[in-house]
Amino acid sequence: MARRIWSVAKYALLILGAALMLLPFLDMLLGALRTPAERLARPPVYWPRDPQWGNFVRVFDELPMLRWLTNSLVVTGTITLLQMLTSAMAGYALAKFQFRGRLNVFRFVVGAQMFPFFIFLIPWFFILRYVPLLGGNDWTGTGGAGLLNSYAALVLPFAVTWYGIFLMRQFFLTIPDELLDAARMDGAGEFFIFFRIALPLVGSGLATLGIFVFLYHWNEVLWTMTVTRTAPDLQTVPVGIYLLRGAFEQEATKSLQQAAIFVSVIPVIVVFLALQRYYVASVTSGSVKG
Amino acid sequence: MLQFLSSKKAAPWLFLSPVILFAAVFFVLPVVFAAYISLTTWDSLSPPRWMGLKNYQYLFATDPIFWKTVWQTLYFALGTLVLGVPLALVLAYALSRARLQGVWRVVYTLPMVTNIVAVAFIFTFLLRPTDGLLNRLLDLLGLPGPGWLTDPSLAMLSAILVFVWMELGRNMLLFSAGLNSIDQSYYEAASMDGAGAWSLFRRITIPLLKPTILFVVITNFISGMSYFTLMLVLFPGTQGGPSRAALTTGQYMYQMAFEDLRLGRASAVSYVLFALVFVATLVQLRLMRRGGLEEH
Repeated sequence: MARRIWSVAKYALLILGAALMLLPFLDMLLGALRTPAERLARPPVYWPRDPQWGNFVRVFDELPMLRWLTNSLVVTGTITLLQMLTSAMAGYALAKFQFRGRLNVFRFVVGAQMFPFFIFLIPWFFILRYVPLLGGNDWTGTGGAGLLNSYAALVLPFAVTWYGIFLMRQFFLTIPDELLDAARMDGAGEFFIFFRIALPLVGSGLATLGIFVFLYHWNEVLWTMTVTRTAPDLQTVPVGIYLLRGAFEQEATKSLQQAAIFVSVIPVIVVFLALQRYYVASVTSGSVKG
Repeated sequence: MLQFLSSKKAAPWLFLSPVILFAAVFFVLPVVFAAYISLTTWDSLSPPRWMGLKNYQYLFATDPIFWKTVWQTLYFALGTLVLGVPLALVLAYALSRARLQGVWRVVYTLPMVTNIVAVAFIFTFLLRPTDGLLNRLLDLLGLPGPGWLTDPSLAMLSAILVFVWMELGRNMLLFSAGLNSIDQSYYEAASMDGAGAWSLFRRITIPLLKPTILFVVITNFISGMSYFTLMLVLFPGTQGGPSRAALTTGQYMYQMAFEDLRLGRASAVSYVLFALVFVATLVQLRLMRRGGLEEH
């Protein structure tokens, strides 16, 4: 009897929870489909009677949505490739070479993970602002805006991920040394061995890291918002929508805002659905072994 | 030279060189720079002026808002733990014993991959006082709908609930991984002895899942202490919600730096908050080691 109750209760629980997860998205979709008249009616209409699917087209016509999407893709894509490359190289060095200082480098990588992101907000901003000889700056780092108004400001501070190095090291540890030594005997150079032999063997590890980084940085808001507040040409999808909120003060325009928000969520959901196996692995690999 | 660069001796350093360069410019330099700035007064327009420890002294002894933000940060971090972790554990437990695991998992992790601006705006609409979905539902039940985001006594609670909604999937994934690593034979043996669902959960699941629970609790606590992007976008145009009721220390630092240009004092705030988070991290390591998780 108790068992029967439990097996019903667990599905009831899961369905209730799933409803709570999905309802907010549905609420947003319904909002995006309302007509201005439905929004202004007293009391306001909840179910749109004449769904305005055209709002999803207007988002591209009336907002810089394509610009934002391009920026998101360029910035997130570059960060993802850079982090995969730097993590793989460093993780490989730490896993497959014996050299003096290796333990200290490893300790540094682990220790650096303890530094929370907010510590870097202020110094990064001003390091990029006062970088010498770039972005109109003279050798003392003044005179121009430095790298602030460029893609570099959005990408460079995220070129390396300490967690990624740690993760890739774990994956490279599973490759037998004999394999690499055999290639050395055959006269292969170190770069050839890394790119043509070792790297292909950790493909699933790279995918795990890549999907995690991509989703994380597609959704990154705090830093991008700080750097691009005065550079609309560099804003990414979420940041653009947030900083343009002033244009949607009028109740009648809010359907368009909600449509834009919906559009901002779609790309990650597609990527996520396609690669969720790797994503699940990336979330749990930092936790408990097994 | 070329021969040395392609030798096995030079290789690890060549592979590490991008990271070393990055560490110098974007890690060591910022940490030192922020520490120095925290000992000065600086508005970024004129050169910094040396202040010694005065910024820290001001925060601890004079600033009335700073301590308020520390307590509110703790309230946020603990609130998300108390509401979020048991919920995630129970749901992950139900999930681990249900069919269609893949489908449930996708549904529960959707909020986690949704960007924070979308999350904040979704809930700004959903929590609107008169025509938001939640208050419409309360109205159907004949209950009065409060101003979830405008009432100072509710603002932080609302932020906590949104955060729990957002992070539920991540915690469930972690718990699911832990649950899957528990040997099924324990359950079988206990079932043979006549143990019910609840006593299986309490006597087998909870004790064997202790390392995972500890990991989830502590990482959630640390990220909760450092977190403020949600509050920044959930209460735009305010100084951290109505009457600063949802102002956390991180956001206080952010506004001090990028709106008031008090960069010295803001750096001091970031270092004090860092110290608090660091203590929590050390406690984490200590507890984990005792909990039998040598990995970390």
